[in-house]
Parts: sequence; C-alpha cells; structure tokens
Amino acid sequence: MANVKPSPALNQQDNHVLLVNNLSWQLAGKAILSAVDFSLAEGKMLGIIGPNGAGKSSLLRCLYRFITPTSGTIELFGEQISTLSAKMFARQVAVVLQDTPHHFEMTTSQLIALGLTPHKGAFDFTSKRDREEVTKALLKVGLQDKANQAYESLSGGEKQRALIARAIVQRPKLLILDEPTNHLDIRYQIQTLELLRTLNITVITSIHDLNLASALCDELLLLNDGHCVAKGTPKTVLTEQRIAEVFDVCCEIKPHPQHGNPLISYFYGYQTPNAADVGGVDEHSK
Amino acid sequence: MSTASKVFNPQRRLVEYLLYSLLMGLTILTPFAATSFGAATISVVDVFSVLSHKLFSIGESLGVRERIIWELRLPRVLLAFIAGAGLSIAGSVLQTVTRNPLADPYLFGISSGASFGAVVVLTLFSQSVLWLSLPVGAFIGASISVVMVLGLCGRNLSTQVERMLLSGVAISFMFGAMASLMLYFSSPQAAASVLFWTLGSFAKASWQGLWLPAAVVLIAMLIILLNKRQIVAMRAGDETAHTLGINVSHLRLNMLLLCSLITAILVANCGGIGFIGLMVPHTVRLLFPGRYPLLLTALVGGLFMVWVDVLARTLLSYQELPVGIITSVMGSIFFLFILASRSAKRI
Repeated sequence: MANVKPSPALNQQDNHVLLVNNLSWQLAGKAILSAVDFSLAEGKMLGIIGPNGAGKSSLLRCLYRFITPTSGTIELFGEQISTLSAKMFARQVAVVLQDTPHHFEMTTSQLIALGLTPHKGAFDFTSKRDREEVTKALLKVGLQDKANQAYESLSGGEKQRALIARAIVQRPKLLILDEPTNHLDIRYQIQTLELLRTLNITVITSIHDLNLASALCDELLLLNDGHCVAKGTPKTVLTEQRIAEVFDVCCEIKPHPQHGNPLISYFYGYQTPNAADVGGVDEHSK
Repeated sequence: MSTASKVFNPQRRLVEYLLYSLLMGLTILTPFAATSFGAATISVVDVFSVLSHKLFSIGESLGVRERIIWELRLPRVLLAFIAGAGLSIAGSVLQTVTRNPLADPYLFGISSGASFGAVVVLTLFSQSVLWLSLPVGAFIGASISVVMVLGLCGRNLSTQVERMLLSGVAISFMFGAMASLMLYFSSPQAAASVLFWTLGSFAKASWQGLWLPAAVVLIAMLIILLNKRQIVAMRAGDETAHTLGINVSHLRLNMLLLCSLITAILVANCGGIGFIGLMVPHTVRLLFPGRYPLLLTALVGGLFMVWVDVLARTLLSYQELPVGIITSVMGSIFFLFILASRSAKRI
C-alpha cells in the first residue's frame, strides 16, 4: 500500500476492481449495448437487472471477453482487459455460466478441479496442494459428500454450488455469474446468493428476481434496451415509477421488514398504459 | 443417496482395478501371442527365443521361422499397434474438442483425400515410380483435404464446429468423386490395388516403414498429453473453456491439425481403417465412466487393432482379409449394440 495518497480521486480509483467506460456493442448493425458506464469497488456485489433482451448477458460477455465491444473500455485493476493474456485474465476473473453441455461425464471434484486450469502449465501435475484446494472448495459450498458423485446426478442447487466451487478454486479477484438463480427453488436461490456473499470476492451477477437482488446485492445496475437506466444502491435504483417504465408492471414498494431494502409487491390484472414507452425510459437515463 | 448407477462407488473401483489388471496382462502377452498366429505354424516359445536372440544375442537362430517372425510378423504387429493407438487417440481428442460424439479422424475428408492421392499415383505414375510413392501420394492428398477443411472452418467460435463438419463432408465427397472418376477410366489392376489399399491392411509392414508412423504418433501423443488439462476443460463447453483461460479456437484448430497428421500418416501407410477412432474411445468411456484416460485409450486401441489384424490373417486359411472390413463389421455391430442398450435404459 502506498503511504502517500496523491488525491482522493486517484485513491478511489485504486479501490476499483472494474471500471467500464462508454461501453457499446453492436451485432449486425443493431445496438445491443449503448454507452454503458459503471465502476465497481472491491468486495461489493453488483446485480445486473433488467427485462429479457435488455443486454444483461451481452454486458457480462463483454466483461469476460467472450465478445469484443464495438467501442468503449473495460479496465480491471487499472489495466485494459484486452491487453491481458487469456491465462492472466482467467487467473483474475472466474465466470459461472448458466448451462453445461449434456453428457457431461465428470465427477463433482473433477469439475471443480477444472478451476485449476489457468494456474497450470503444460508440465504441471495436479499436486497434493491442488487436491486440498478442491477439498476446501467442496467444504465451503457444502458438497463434501458429493465429491465422487457424477456432476449430472446433482440437483440444480448442488450443480450451481459445484460451479461456484470451481470458480473458488480459480482464486479470482472478480467473479461473474450469469443468472445463477435460474431454475432454482427459492431455498436454493437464497442459499446461492448468500454463499456468494460469504466468499469475500467482488461479484457481478445478472439476476431476474428484483426482490432477491434488492435483498442481497450491494449495488444494482438496471439495463433496458442496452442502456443503463439507473445504477446505485437498491434503494435508489428500485422505484415504483422505474419498474413501471422498464418492466411494464404496476407495483408498490415498501421497506423490507428485515433489512429495510425495497420490497416489491406486484399488482396483477392490469398493465400500466403506455408506461414502457421508450421515450420515457430514455429521458430517465439522461 | 441418489441413483446408484450414477455414483462412482467402491464396487466400481474394484471393476476398474480388474480391468486395469486384465489390460496389463494383455499388453504383456499380446506381442508374443499375436506374432505366433498366421499361415506358418509358429509357437509362442519360438517368438520368445527369436526375440531373445535378436535383442540380446541369446540362443540360436531359427532360420526361416526367425525371418518370418522378425521381418514379417513383428513389424506388422507393431504397425497395427501404432495404427490402433494413433487412430483411437485422434478420435478421442477430436470427439472432445468438437464435443461431437461422432467425430472421427476420417470425418474431415482425410481418408478420401488420401484415396485420391493414392489413385493419382497408381493411375498416372504406375509405370515410373516405386511402391513407396503410394503412401507419399496418399499423404499429400490427405494433407490437401485437411488444409482445405481448416481454411473453410473459420475462426468464429459459434459456427466453427458446424463448419468444420460440413466442409469435411463436402471435401470428402469432392475427393471421392474425383477418385472414382479416375478409377473409372483406369485399368482393372489399378482399381484392384486401390480397393485393397482403401480397405486397409498391415501386410506391407516393414522395419524401415515403421519409424515414421511411430515417431509421428509418439510426438503427437506427447503434445496431446501436455495439453490434456485444456482438452479436458473443453468438455465444459466453448464459453466455459474460454473463461478458464483457454484459447478455444486455437486449441481446436491445433488439435484438428495434429489428429489429421496422425491420421494422414497412418492412412498413407495402412489404408483406410474405419471405426477404430469411433469405437475405441466410446468403449473406453463406457468401461471407465467419468474419466478421461488418454493413454488407456491409446493402449486399448493398439491392442484391439493387433487382434483384429490377427483375425484378418487367420479367418481364411489361404487368403488375407482386409482389416478395414473386419473393423467396419465390428463397428456397426458395436453401435447397434449401444443403440439397443440405450433404448433399453431409455436414455
């Protein structure tokens, strides 16, 4: 740590794991992401929310370099991510995706050991320490009894935890997840997100359930049509008007009795007339 | 506990231990036993004494039997082993990096390219050049088809595998048509020798012809083993493999190139032996579920090939069968069996 801090602005930059500047991505001439800006401080958990097709997955794919943005920059600890080698990048950023291929014949511990890949050269064998690391990750996600079981035989929640354990073994500084709560029942949804909070890693996750996002994320980023509509704490991002505009549903927001973050109750039977009008949303983002 | 069949339990361990021991035994016995089979009656003891005489100068020469063993049968057994091991490992790697269980070393137009090369040599240069030029022609043909497939498949990850397979099929048909056309206008002798070569045979094995396939298969196997971690990670899907720091497109193209090199050199030397690259990796996967035993796949493939060649030599008393016919028959029965067992399990 530097003992002389030149300016508060620079100091703040040091704490940033990720700095995204004016990020845009076009696919066949159509803008999927338009001028997205945000930064993420160390240890925070950021939830990317927004309707289907808002560009959540595309944004994440830009962040883990699966697609190259049309314009804009992404900095990881002050370095352009495009300048890092594939291996160096994978040592810092781990990703948990939604689905694995069918006929994926691996045991849970074999799957978790895949997380060692970026740390290993061609001549490195899996050492005793590596195996200990896999065991530790298994313990952390509570899958120690399933170590030698086929990954495909695990339940949805267990599979998700196994994938997170694989990411833990990767020893990342940033963990990116694409809708980790999909297809899980509410117990596993909460369990998965709470597990992420215990890891002490900076986390970015896309998430559909707004109440879950409100309860368990430090910060939220609301996307609509590739634009960043709002960002900040759940309290500032989740408002009745914004949800009506972006998701086209009526709702009432009250503080949650336990943690005080917004608790959304949806109204059924009618949609807000013309609320999701694009002009209105755009105005809001400006 | 969840479904018993999916759990890798201690019983499974025992089965695997038994399988390993069986394979070990086979590996030790095969060189002697396989060499003793054939038209001339030769005992395992003869093989043993010839080997000790040749390798360690112990004992006496056995004359004609020694020549049969040392100059004909032993190189043949070794070539069969190298071919089986090489094709199996190529098939296994290709199935993994393309995540297509039906990927096969021959799927990418290699064998038809090689056939075309062989046909060109046999029909256009049959008078002037030696027997040796057939493998050379076949290798050139195979290389051309591989270069064309690689050129056509592109770098776009989402379409790469599909384009690879489609361009392989297209090039396969193209070379097949050209080879057929040339054969149609050629002499019956040329057609017969091309046919025999296309069906595959180890009859031309010799010590001089052994070192190149051996070196290529060994070096390729070493490179594959050094990349094993990456290859295994490819099973998790392109996008996940990418997030594990793997250059997916590069790895896949490099592995295709490497497997093509193995296949091309083997096809050039022993003709087109089908189904080994499909059958052996599938069998090993069935026997050792949840593992990725590259060396074991090579070993099983090599042993299997040696014994198929023994069958080819001994099934008919005064004639040899092309090994390709036997492997194809076994392969089709094997896949029908898999199909039946899968529908029985409702998978």
